[in-house]
Amino acid sequence: MTVRGLWIISHENGGNLSIRFSRFVTSNYCHIYANITYFFRIACRSLCFVMSCVSFIRRFSTVEHRAKSLAGSSYVAVPEESTFLQLLLTELGLSDSGKNYVALRDDCLYRPRSPALELHVDGPGKGILWPVLTVSQGPLILACLPLVDVPPDPRPPLASLLSVSQGLTLLAGLQTFLLGSGSKPDSEGLGSRLAMLPSVLLQVCPLGTPLDVPLPGTPATPTAPTSAGTQKQPAWKTGLHRGRAVVNVGLIETVRSMQYGNRSRQDLWDVYGTVTCKCEVEGVLPNVTVTLSLPPNGSPLQDILVHPCVTSLDSSILTASSVDNYDGSAFSGPYKFPFSPPLEPFRLCSYTSEVPVPPILGSYQLKEEENQLRVSVTLKLHESIKNSFEFCNAHLPFFNRDQMGVVDMKLSSGQLDVSKEKNLLVWILGQKFPKSREVTMEGKISFSGPTPGPSDPLCTKLTAYVKLHFKVPDMTLSGCYVDQHSVQVYSSAKPRIVTSRELQSKEYYIWNSTGTAPVSSGQMMM
Amino acid sequence: MAANWAERISAFSRRPSGFLSGTTAEAFLAELLRELRDDRATYSVKILLLSPLCEHSTLLCCSDSVGEETALELMSVFVQCPPKSVQFRCHLLLALTSVLICTSCVKSHSRASLDFLDVLLQIAQDTSDIHTDGRQRPLRATACECLRELEACCPGLLSQRLELLGGLRQQETSRLHQAYAELYTLVLRNAIYQLTQETGAGAEHLKALLGGNTSAAWEADQESDLTSSKDSAILSSLILGPMGTVPTLHTGPDCKELRSVLSTLLDESYLLTPLCQATLLHRLTEVVAMVPGVPPAIFRTHLLRLLGTSEVSLLHATLLLKCAFTDSLFSSEDEAFILKRLVVLSQHPLLSTPEKLFYMDCILHFPENRPISCSDGDETLPVLLTPQLASALVPTVFNDSTTLLARFNMLSLVYLEEGEEGQGGQGLAYLYKHLSSLLSMVENGCSRELIVTFFRAAFLFLYYFCHVERYSNDLTKQLCQLYFHHTKLAPHLINLADQTQDRLSESSWSVGLLKALQRVITEAPLTQLTSHDLSRHLKMLVRVADEGEIIQQSTLTFLSSIITPSSSSLCTGGDWRLGNDILRVCRRLLVHPSLDSLLTPLADVLHLICHYADMEIQDHARLYYTLLTTLSREKLAGVLAQGMEEGGRQVKKQSLSCLMGEGLTSTLTIQQTERAVFRLIEAPPEPRAGDINSNEVETGPGEASALVEAYRDQFSDSSFASEITLQYQLVHINSHDCHFDQLFSIHLHFSLTDHHYEELGDISVPCLLRERPSTIVQLTLKPRKPYPTSLHASAIFTSPDGHTWHTTLPDIHVAFQQTFLPLPVPSSWGRGGTLSVFEGLWDEICSESGDSATSLFCCQLKEAALNTLVEKHFLPFLISDLSHKEEFKVLFFLPPRSHILLKVSSEEDAVHFNIATDNWELLSHINSYLLKVTSLQEDTLS
Repeated sequence: MTVRGLWIISHENGGNLSIRFSRFVTSNYCHIYANITYFFRIACRSLCFVMSCVSFIRRFSTVEHRAKSLAGSSYVAVPEESTFLQLLLTELGLSDSGKNYVALRDDCLYRPRSPALELHVDGPGKGILWPVLTVSQGPLILACLPLVDVPPDPRPPLASLLSVSQGLTLLAGLQTFLLGSGSKPDSEGLGSRLAMLPSVLLQVCPLGTPLDVPLPGTPATPTAPTSAGTQKQPAWKTGLHRGRAVVNVGLIETVRSMQYGNRSRQDLWDVYGTVTCKCEVEGVLPNVTVTLSLPPNGSPLQDILVHPCVTSLDSSILTASSVDNYDGSAFSGPYKFPFSPPLEPFRLCSYTSEVPVPPILGSYQLKEEENQLRVSVTLKLHESIKNSFEFCNAHLPFFNRDQMGVVDMKLSSGQLDVSKEKNLLVWILGQKFPKSREVTMEGKISFSGPTPGPSDPLCTKLTAYVKLHFKVPDMTLSGCYVDQHSVQVYSSAKPRIVTSRELQSKEYYIWNSTGTAPVSSGQMMM
Repeated sequence: MAANWAERISAFSRRPSGFLSGTTAEAFLAELLRELRDDRATYSVKILLLSPLCEHSTLLCCSDSVGEETALELMSVFVQCPPKSVQFRCHLLLALTSVLICTSCVKSHSRASLDFLDVLLQIAQDTSDIHTDGRQRPLRATACECLRELEACCPGLLSQRLELLGGLRQQETSRLHQAYAELYTLVLRNAIYQLTQETGAGAEHLKALLGGNTSAAWEADQESDLTSSKDSAILSSLILGPMGTVPTLHTGPDCKELRSVLSTLLDESYLLTPLCQATLLHRLTEVVAMVPGVPPAIFRTHLLRLLGTSEVSLLHATLLLKCAFTDSLFSSEDEAFILKRLVVLSQHPLLSTPEKLFYMDCILHFPENRPISCSDGDETLPVLLTPQLASALVPTVFNDSTTLLARFNMLSLVYLEEGEEGQGGQGLAYLYKHLSSLLSMVENGCSRELIVTFFRAAFLFLYYFCHVERYSNDLTKQLCQLYFHHTKLAPHLINLADQTQDRLSESSWSVGLLKALQRVITEAPLTQLTSHDLSRHLKMLVRVADEGEIIQQSTLTFLSSIITPSSSSLCTGGDWRLGNDILRVCRRLLVHPSLDSLLTPLADVLHLICHYADMEIQDHARLYYTLLTTLSREKLAGVLAQGMEEGGRQVKKQSLSCLMGEGLTSTLTIQQTERAVFRLIEAPPEPRAGDINSNEVETGPGEASALVEAYRDQFSDSSFASEITLQYQLVHINSHDCHFDQLFSIHLHFSLTDHHYEELGDISVPCLLRERPSTIVQLTLKPRKPYPTSLHASAIFTSPDGHTWHTTLPDIHVAFQQTFLPLPVPSSWGRGGTLSVFEGLWDEICSESGDSATSLFCCQLKEAALNTLVEKHFLPFLISDLSHKEEFKVLFFLPPRSHILLKVSSEEDAVHFNIATDNWELLSHINSYLLKVTSLQEDTLS
């Protein structure tokens, strides 16, 4: 239930190295010290411009002490930083990026790698270091080595080590803390948050046993005083709210789709929803209940996952599962979630849903003609969908061809952005489909540009797709909604309650029906 | 200074060994401690200084006593530190914990550790800040965490404080109750474990434990201190799956107290962070597993909340709960539900990839209520995982590579179980289609990562379904096409052939693949061949030639056509690398089992290579040609075999010696021994025969001056008395390397360290056997100046396995007295003659100046001691009669021309050594020599 060490490695492709920290740079090896205490970066093999450096390392000597007595003769010490880094990058397939084949890195022998890697330590402390957990996002690789607290021989399954899931949680928490939950990390904030790590770790993992994950964004401040009542304050609640009670419940549904326009291949789509809450309610342990409701003949919510602050669950809520055959008798709400909220915004629950039709049905046809490509796209908005978008765009990328020359397109609606250097057409449909709820685009493109455009291993020849990006406010596909009046807050003051919902697309593909579309599974999940 | 510390600390933690090679652990530790006591340093720097102590305690405190001292130092820093610097005090507690645990001070209950324990307990109990701003709260939290770590590392340490800790946990209402709860559950778990190890412990012991009445009921337990017990079992998790056994405490059904404690803990677990909840749940699972008196149903009310959670660690703890209690807590419906849940979670769009992969691992190690097999560690599919259920996890091209492979692996297991009929067949078809689409992506030129992923997937497919020939044959065909268009995949394909051959020993798939690849290479038109392709083809052919089953004729035809200038221009450039690649194929063919049928074409090819444009390649081709045409098959195999064994098909060495044949090289090169094998030690002196004292009263040829003249005349021959011969024994150095017990043909070589001697000749010793008496070696030295010296020595010898070795011997030291010779006069001159020469020389030296010198050396010696001294050291050089005790006359002759004359007499106050020498430079040496021998004499007598 403990980790032996923690590493945070920044890994950059390209020469965008944070030189502002540098003290000296030599040709082959760069040792770049941060002027913040504790942190240093090592870049290795700057020759191929893959910069990897350990930004933060923390070892837990008492856990190491336990590891030694638990593992006995099979104990493998944690190697020094540079060795560790090199082994880790090899195992992740990131070393020697200039070389076509490296036996250690590219061996075809299958062994489960992620999430627990094994590092083959050479030299005097020879042995296999396992299980090294890693998560990576953008420029950062975070790694930790959980303590194996069961007999090491034969190697125990990951599932028998509670420290593995705890390690994963810790890493994910640190990742969110360092990079934010958004996809775009800001490198400015990263440095300052790295600098905060020692004091953050003092709170969340002082001696190698993870106690909590750091709160994203907020600096570690001493907790606000609490009234000395008899009710124990939850450890995950950093303070108490004072002031007017406000409860904010947001419901977002995401739809994904793969449409082939081909009889032999079934089109696929799926929907999942998340309910996010921000509750400003007084009291040490206030009670709030949020209820999700479905329209009369809505299909049941499946695969419900709840936040740990939910106090109790009805068993009927959990029964529906997307991997089951649909059972008509399944429970279809209302879904009650009683909980005591933490101070910060959190994801109360998530679900998946089976909906009968995709919101937008498309067809895409390409025909290769002399020196040009004939393009035909049709998009139909389903009648049940509110014809009021925040935005709706269709992206048509073309790969493995020369750059676009003449683009001659006729649109029944919307406007077209042509990005010749990216070989990309963006069809901006705006806020509304026309009354007919159907739009078309037809025309020809010649690829007569002087240089080759972008390439992709999947989209060769006539394998091509249209990718839709859209967002519809105030609607859900499943019909699921949170009624303002169903939100119950058990506190003295009458709270203000705000609810919202929206539908958004993600990975919404319409494949060219005249080309071979890549194999996808019988079930929807990608 | 602060910046300097930041840099130094970071240098230390980056590479502790490197950092400490520039200083010592003690010095660095002392520096750290000094700086920590320094009032001028800021607390942020001081926190930095503590990090090496926290992270590398054992490295800095290399012994328990150092740990103890360090801890005492840190405690005094802690006491002096003002309460308001909370962060620093927290870090100090962490450092103290690390140092005391890692140096085993806690285990041995050292003074510092007991003091520290008291300090921690005091802090943990100090709730005076409850009404203030709570600024000291982090300190209390850290103290609890330190106590927990101490208990975790030394189980049972706090068993006696259980009641106190329970009380603290109950009282606390701030967020700190979590720290107390964690501490309490661990101590409880360890205390109960201790009880299970006690024979006869039962319900009342448990009651006493929880009630804090430890003094009476629990005396005995303290003696069986588990902290000192050798096995680490108590540290391990007790939840081990179907094969694990849990120690139990038999209490009967009456354990109300424990049950109420557990219920409270479980009810309040909701207030803990998910990570701490998971730990607590796991500890409580262990406790309930150890005490059968408490039914597992105690967890039931919490199960729904746990099963619905989105937190990976909470669900994991629930799985461990299932692992521990199986059907006594989970019905078969529950089991089916959990498995479905795991499948859902393994592909849930909102979870991260590592989490999803972890859940897949949990499916493969699913804790079934009634497992069919008890195979530990192996991946087995739960019975309930039907192909229909698993179909949610089929791999797709949109997966990232690790997910793709994990899914590929799991689905292969599923379809393997199903067999080729029905659903399994369809599934298999899907998997193969998926593999093909990966292959076409590789064909279209994808990233390196995807190439590797494809080959891993291909390996997995073959691993499970190699026997399904319609797929494995088709895969061979597709791979050949792939190689034809992408020869850069040669190493991947070779690797695939190697691994399938290793893992699937009964399958001939990899030979089939290699055969097909050989066909692709040899049948392709030469006109389109580039030199890059050729080099990869040749690598592939090397691997093909490793297979005895594959007929090599077409390879030879291919070689002959590329080397023939009329058919291909690729080799006309005489590229050295290309030449080597070709030769490497030839070398494999030389040891191929079907060599007999290859003789003529291979000889032809080698003959062609003899005209290659690179000299070296020509030479080697000629060597191979000669080997092939002159040696019998067996001999040829013998010469080449050794190297083949070493490298086998993995040989990738580029060295010339590799090309030559590794078998020859080790016998032809001289290897260096790691350390000295033998050495030369001075042999004990032989009794000297023919002492000049024997001839008593003969007279010499005349007057003293004439005698001196005659003596001098002898030196007209420059070789006269110019050498000293020293006796040495050649002995093994006492290391037990049996490899060197018998040595032959030892050739000793000496080299000088100064210019005072002529160069020495080499010495040969036929053999040196450990069990036989040592060999005497005579070292003949020819001094230019008779000074003490050192000689370097080395040797070349042969070991019994025929290898030749070079070794260095320890230096040989030649002492000053070893250069002494008796006066070189004809024996016929007798004592009278020599005495005359002595007197003549003495007079000459005393009257002359120039290089001559006289001196006096005095020392305190009894008469008896003097006699012994003379007998022991001077006898061979004594000119006067031994019985003539008033004055001993001694003459040392030192080649080539020097003399030292001594007149030794006992005077009133001391023994006087009157010294006369014709070479004043020797005075210092004779002085130190006399000092040595006389002091030796004094020592032995006193």
